[in-house]
Amino acid sequence: MGLRCFSYACVAGLAFWLGLARAEDVHTESRTPFLHNIPLHDSQGRLISPPSVVGDDGKPQEPKANPYSPAQTCGKCHDYDTISEGWHFNADSAAVPPGRPGEPWILTDAATRTQIPLSYRGWAGTFKPSDLGLSDYEFVTNFSRHMPGGGPGEPDKIKPTDPQMGRMNITGKLEIDCLICHQNTGRYDHEARFNALRAQDFRWAPTIAAGLGVFASFKSAGSIADAWRPGRPVPSVLPAIKYDRARFDTENNVLFQVSRRPSVNNCYYCHTSETALGDARWHGDGDVHIKAGLLCVDCHRNGIDHAIVRGYEGEVRDRVISDSMVNLRAALLRRDNAAFKDDDARKLARQQLQSEAGRIETLTCRGCHTEGRLGSPRLVHRGLPPIHLEKLACTACHSGPFPKSEPEVVHTSLAHKLGLPGPERGRQTAPVILEPVFLRGADGKIAPFKMVWPSYWARLNGTNITPMPPAEAAKTVTLPQPSSDDAARDPYNTKPLTDRQIQQALESFPVEPSKGEPVFIAAGKIYRLYKQILHSSESPSAKPYAWALGHDVRPASKALGTRGCADCHDSRAPMYFATVAARGPVEATNGLSREMWEMRGDDKTAASVFAFTFNFRPLLKIIVFAAALVVLGVLLHYGLRGLGAITARGKERP
Amino acid sequence: MIHASAKISYAVVCAAGLVLAATGIGTFALGKAPMTHWVLMAHVAVAPFFALGLAALALTWSGLSRGGADSPLSGAAKALLWLVLLAGLVVSLSGVVPMMPLLGTQGQHFLYLTHRYSAIVLTAAVLLHLPLLARRKGNA
Repeated sequence: MGLRCFSYACVAGLAFWLGLARAEDVHTESRTPFLHNIPLHDSQGRLISPPSVVGDDGKPQEPKANPYSPAQTCGKCHDYDTISEGWHFNADSAAVPPGRPGEPWILTDAATRTQIPLSYRGWAGTFKPSDLGLSDYEFVTNFSRHMPGGGPGEPDKIKPTDPQMGRMNITGKLEIDCLICHQNTGRYDHEARFNALRAQDFRWAPTIAAGLGVFASFKSAGSIADAWRPGRPVPSVLPAIKYDRARFDTENNVLFQVSRRPSVNNCYYCHTSETALGDARWHGDGDVHIKAGLLCVDCHRNGIDHAIVRGYEGEVRDRVISDSMVNLRAALLRRDNAAFKDDDARKLARQQLQSEAGRIETLTCRGCHTEGRLGSPRLVHRGLPPIHLEKLACTACHSGPFPKSEPEVVHTSLAHKLGLPGPERGRQTAPVILEPVFLRGADGKIAPFKMVWPSYWARLNGTNITPMPPAEAAKTVTLPQPSSDDAARDPYNTKPLTDRQIQQALESFPVEPSKGEPVFIAAGKIYRLYKQILHSSESPSAKPYAWALGHDVRPASKALGTRGCADCHDSRAPMYFATVAARGPVEATNGLSREMWEMRGDDKTAASVFAFTFNFRPLLKIIVFAAALVVLGVLLHYGLRGLGAITARGKERP
Repeated sequence: MIHASAKISYAVVCAAGLVLAATGIGTFALGKAPMTHWVLMAHVAVAPFFALGLAALALTWSGLSRGGADSPLSGAAKALLWLVLLAGLVVSLSGVVPMMPLLGTQGQHFLYLTHRYSAIVLTAAVLLHLPLLARRKGNA
């Protein structure tokens, strides 16, 4: 009897659990956004229910509770594991092809004049954080300000004995904060999030940034973690969130105003790129697509896997169909046809997904403007010989600032902490990034790039260069700091170093033959001491890192070539003859300087002669048209005479 | 008799045409089309000489090549000359019109192909015309 009761209970429990699971697997599948009036869950999946205003004892109660967890709250309906494989979150996954080199994180330290491009993706020219001795935790504390979460901020397992990652048992993981992109109220508080992350209140940051409540303790999670030692138990009581009761309805639901298609402003928090600096920003026209009313996500789309379309030609080769997506699709296939075996369903699912992935080529510039998607004007290129379309990327003529005799300084969100309040950033604000630099992409086409030159102290051992993390270099190197006036105005500003200062700094490093000789890398050169004299020379270790720029896109009327061939084929045309001076924390005259043709390894004589020939293009046209006119005249003359003769012959016949 | 000016214009067309064919058709035949860099520059540099030569050819040979004219040329040679002039006209215009802001990518591509194939026709016509000319002159 007891056993039977137990069995019934098990079956009933299982049915209830399955019922719940099904209830969570719900979709509206309408273009009308679903009203996200939903309960909050904490990181343990527990329902968040702030205490009532007055307790059972009649005393007022504060609405304190655990911070909400996006993974547990949003993940109830949206497959969080699948989402976390998306492009914004998968940089540290070895299974993901790196794709076309993109914007790196740049480890910048004004005190030691360090600027090192970092990426987990292994793009050539970048360092992996571990190359610098940076742990995932340190990486996250450096860059979480513009990280949406996930990836290195959300390890699968936390080793309690790891002195760094072990801290996450207290600070919490940096979960993907869905609202960074998907809120559409304009009330997401990036600064509050930044402050929370700076205090290492990772678990609390999403709640605070969403304005659901405030941190209810004077002691941050980071400071609690500071007092913790590996192997010791984690404090059982951690700070709570003091919720805003007004955000909860009578059933403890909270209204999230979200959109599947994030607004442009949400993207711009991390993807602003600005050459019109400071007060000059109002002169900028922005991107023509945005002005036309498109959203970033109209082209940079994604499905539930959040594999955002990056939009370059050939991207489909770099895309991976994840197992999660295959499983989701296979489940749908099996739902429609229960006879499907699991393996067959998965095989078919993968085939379908691969086939669908091919469609992303129609979301490139060329694809969209060839297909006419979204009402895009068809390609015309009046007067442009077709060879240009084979030799140039679309962006060469249409993207970035109109090229001048020198590339411009550009500030980006990731590099210059745009979106967070601070003193006005200037042209010397590290890291100095230039655009447009016209290089050849992997497809051999000329395209505009952004470029940054690494700058760091290092040890040279044979041919191996080991960069020193800023903290290590700072132990030895003492460099002149900006004056207090400068610091107040522009704390990121760094004054260029003189040769004397570099020499003194190199001399200050302890002699450690086993580690190698101390060197300084900056502005395309390596600086080293030889017989107590400073020498500098070009070095592969000092090569710049460049990544393709896609935006802002200029309208056709502002494209290169609209003023004529001379836009690119003049003897001073920037595409060939602009000067690219390597930028870094050294005096401008000390860095490498190259012309654009040289950066690409082109032939200067050919470029110059070709440009020279364009002086004769008008004459060429006149000669050929005049000659053609003569030939046409002769042909018409004799042709008409011939016709006349034929018709006359007809008349003469009886 | 063929006048000296006619011979000179014919020689100019042949010489310029040789360079143009070597750079243009040669690049195409080697599978390296379209032309770029020095090859393209050489092609464009010689083009006006070809055009001028073609105009002179039209003026000096048309009389000799008209039907029924008392001329040392055979009927085939006459016909080929008109073909040379016609193809030369098409080659010239399809080479220079793309430099004007008139046609879009499709039109440009059409002209590019027109230029290529009319140049092949022109070259073939000249190559056929030359031996006929030599034979006629030999007979004369």
